[in-house]
Amino acid sequence: MSRASFILSRSGRGLLTIWFAVTVTFLLLRLLPGDPALALASPNMTDEIRATILEQYGLDQPLLIQYGLCMWQLVQGNLGISFTQSIPVLDVLLQRLPWTLLLTVTALVLTIVIGIPLGVAAASFKGRFIDRAVQVLGVTGQSLFVPSVAILLLFVFGLNLGWFPIGGAYTNNTYGMDWYLSVAQHLVLPAVSLMLIQVGSYVLTMRSTLIETLSEDYILLAKANGLRGRRILWKHALRNALLPTTTLIGLQLGFLVGGAVLTETVFAYPGIGRGIYEAVTQLDFPVLQGAFLMLAVTVVVANTITDIVYGYLDPRVKTS
Amino acid sequence: MKHKRYLALGAAAALAVSLTACAPSAPEPGESSSSTGPSDETLSIGTTTDVVNFNPVLGNSRTDSWITNLMYPHLLSISEDGTKEEHVATDWGYVDDTTGFYEIRDDLTWSDGEPLTAEDVAWTLNAVKRDQAPGTFYGQLGNLDTATAVSDTRVELTLTQPDSSIIDEIGFWGVVVPQHVFEPQGSIAEFANDGSDGGWVGMGPFILDDFQVGQHYTLKRVEDYPLVDGGVPGPAEVVYRVYPDVNTEILALQSGEIDVIANALPPAQVEQLSNSSGLQVIEAPGLGYAHLVYNMEKPDLAKTEVRQALAHAVDYEAIRTVVLQGQAVSTGSSALMPVLAKYYDDSVEEYEFDPEKARSLMEEAGYTADADGVFPISFRLIYSLQDSVTSQWAQLVKDTAAEAGITIELQGTERNTYLAMTNAGDYDIYAGNFAIMDDPVTNFALSYLPGGAINYTHVDDPELNALIEEGMVTFDEDEKISIMREANKIVHEQVYDNIMYTQNLFFAASDEWAGFISKPSELLSIVNPLSLASAHPVE
Repeated sequence: MSRASFILSRSGRGLLTIWFAVTVTFLLLRLLPGDPALALASPNMTDEIRATILEQYGLDQPLLIQYGLCMWQLVQGNLGISFTQSIPVLDVLLQRLPWTLLLTVTALVLTIVIGIPLGVAAASFKGRFIDRAVQVLGVTGQSLFVPSVAILLLFVFGLNLGWFPIGGAYTNNTYGMDWYLSVAQHLVLPAVSLMLIQVGSYVLTMRSTLIETLSEDYILLAKANGLRGRRILWKHALRNALLPTTTLIGLQLGFLVGGAVLTETVFAYPGIGRGIYEAVTQLDFPVLQGAFLMLAVTVVVANTITDIVYGYLDPRVKTS
Repeated sequence: MKHKRYLALGAAAALAVSLTACAPSAPEPGESSSSTGPSDETLSIGTTTDVVNFNPVLGNSRTDSWITNLMYPHLLSISEDGTKEEHVATDWGYVDDTTGFYEIRDDLTWSDGEPLTAEDVAWTLNAVKRDQAPGTFYGQLGNLDTATAVSDTRVELTLTQPDSSIIDEIGFWGVVVPQHVFEPQGSIAEFANDGSDGGWVGMGPFILDDFQVGQHYTLKRVEDYPLVDGGVPGPAEVVYRVYPDVNTEILALQSGEIDVIANALPPAQVEQLSNSSGLQVIEAPGLGYAHLVYNMEKPDLAKTEVRQALAHAVDYEAIRTVVLQGQAVSTGSSALMPVLAKYYDDSVEEYEFDPEKARSLMEEAGYTADADGVFPISFRLIYSLQDSVTSQWAQLVKDTAAEAGITIELQGTERNTYLAMTNAGDYDIYAGNFAIMDDPVTNFALSYLPGGAINYTHVDDPELNALIEEGMVTFDEDEKISIMREANKIVHEQVYDNIMYTQNLFFAASDEWAGFISKPSELLSIVNPLSLASAHPVE
C-alpha cells in the first residue's frame, strides 16, 4: 500500500469512527432518564412553560427528526446552542479548549519524559533493586484514583507547604509575564496528578517490551559482534521497543481526557472536562454532544497520527 | 532518509504552532477589572457552580442569584423571624382585595445615572408576566393582572382575584430591572444580559465588571449605595471564584485564597471549621424543611392509618443528632416551622417514634404480619443521590421502619432522574427538602391544593382546600394565622406531609473580615447584598 492510500484509509476509518461516536452519544443522551427542561426552569414550572422550553430546543420532535437535524447541523459545522447558557456550543467549548489542551499536553509530555526512562532503567537493571522499585511504583500508579491524588497534592503542596495555588488556572489581575508564570504555577498540580495516574502504564509497557526486545536474535548477534551494551540499547533495541509505547500514547489519550474531567473538577480548572461535568448535571445535551464530538475527533486524530508514525517506525504495517 | 526527518520536523513545528494558537493567552491590563484603590480590599467568595444566566428574572441557580442580587434589587427582604421587611419598598400592602401597592424609595439610581422609579418596577412585573419568563419570579405572578406606576414612587398591582400573599411574595422573590436597558432588547425572557452589549446597568452595592467562565466573576463597588450604613459598600471588589469540589473550596478558604464560602457547609465540616484558627463560622436560620411525602394515589398509602404508621416509624431525633450533627431543629412535624415565628403553633407535636404503635396502626389498616413480624407490603422511597444528607437519613428511615415490620426499598438516583420521577408521581414515598418556604399560604396552596405544583402527596381534602382558599383571601393577619394553624392541624393529623426538621445553615469565612449580616436561607445567608456591602476588613 502506498503512503498516500495508507493515510487515506486511516483517515476514512477515523471519519467513520467519529460518525459512530456522534450517533452513540446522541442516542445515549436521549436515553438518559431526566428532563432537560427541569434544568432550565424551576421544578415547579407549569406544563405550558415546560412545553415551550422543549419546543424551543426541538426536544418535542420525534427522535429520528432530532437526529437528522443534529447531523445536518454538524455537517454545516454548527454544534447548536447550549440549553443553559443560550450561546453557541462552539463558543462554550472554544473558551475551555485551550485550558484542556494545555493541561493534557503537559501531562502527556511529563508522562512520556518520566515514564519511558523509568521503563528503560527497569529493563536495563532487570531483577535488581531499581527494577523492583520501578515495578512497584508502576503498579501503584495504575491503581491511583484521581480525586484522592488531587486532594492529597492540594493538601500537602497547596495548603501546608503553600507552594502552589489551590484552584483555578491563573490569578486575577496578573498581566504579561506574571500571568504566564501564574498559569504555569496553577498548572503544576493538575498536570502532576494526571501524570501520576498515567505514568504506571508507560513504565510497565516500556519495561516489558524492552526486556523482550533485548532477548531478540538480532540483539544477541549485535552483542556477539562486540557492540557495546549502551549502543545496543539506544541504537537498536529502543526503536523497536518504542512501538507498543507509541500505540499506548494513542490509546491512553482517551483515558487522559477522561482523567481530565475529574482533575479539572477537583482543581477548579476551567477546561472541557469540567464543562462536561457541569453539562451532565444540567442535562445540557448540545454541550455534551459538542464536547464528546471534540473529544472523539481528538482521540481519532491522535490515533490516526499514531498509526502513521507507527508506519514510519515499522514499515511492515503499511503493507499489512 | 533526510527528507523524512524534515517531514517530521515540519509536522512537529506545525503541531507546535497550532497548539500555540490554541494556548491560553495573557490578558492586557485594562482588559479586566483591577482594584479601584490601594486602601480597599477585595472580598473573594467561593462558589461551586458557574453562573448559568445573568438575566435576574430567569436565573435559577444559587450562584445566579448571589451575583445578580448584588446588581438588581428586590423590593423586600426578610428578617430572622421570617417576616418580610423593607428594602427598596418602604411600604406595601393592599388598597382593596384586588389591588396591592408598593411605595419605593426616592433616592435610588441605576449605575448609569438614571433614577430607579416605580416605572421600572411596573415594567419589570408586566414584562415577566407578558413574556412568561420561566423561573420562580414568574411563578409568583399567577394572580397578577397588571402593574401600574401611579407616581414616581408608587406602584399599584391589579389582581385577577383576591390574593393575600402576592404582595409579600412578589416583593421577596421578584427583582427590579432597568426598563431603559431591558425594554429595547425585546422579550425579557430571551435577553442574555451577559454584558456583551456594553456591560451591565444595575442598582446594588456592586456591579459586574468582568468574568471568565469557570474561573471568576468580578464585581466592582458602586460608590453610592444608600441602602447600607454610610452609603458606600465596604469591599472595593467582590470576586466570586468557582470551585466545583467542596473539599477544594474548603482548602482554598483555609489557605487564604478565598475569604468566604457562599454555599452552606456540609454538617460534618461545621465543627472542624469552627475550631480552625483564622476562620469564623456564622449561622443562618434555615427557611425550609426536609420531609417525607406519602403518595396517596397508591391505594395502601391512601389509608390514613398506613401514613400514620409510617410517621411513627421514623426516629426523628436520631436523624437530627446523627446525620445533621445537631444542626437541625424539630418543626413539631409541622409545615408551620418555628422560623415563621408568627405562625408557629407549639401545640402541634412531633410524631413520636414508636415502632409498636406503628405496628398496631398497620393492623388497624388491615395488614397482618408474618411469623417474622413483617407486613406483606413494601414501599419504594425515592431520593436524590446528590443530596448527601437525605441519602444518609433515607437509610435510617428504612432501618427504623423495619423495626415496625414495614419494608422500605430505597431508590436513590441522580438529581435529574429524581426530579423527573417526582414530576411523574413515580414513587411511593418521596424524600427531599425545600430550601425556602417563606409564606405559609403560598406553601400550603402549592403543597396541598389539588393541582398544586408540589402536591407530591396528591392530596385533595375538601376541608383543607376550603381553609387554604380562605387563607388566600383573608387580609387580616391574626385571622389568617388562625386559619393556617387550623389547616396545619389537618395536615398533621392526616399525615399529608411529614415534616422532619429545619436545617440551620452554617457559613465559613476568614476572621480577617467582619460586618456580615446573616439572613435566613442559603439564598441570602451572609452573601446577601446588605451583608456584603457591610463587610469590612478587620483592622
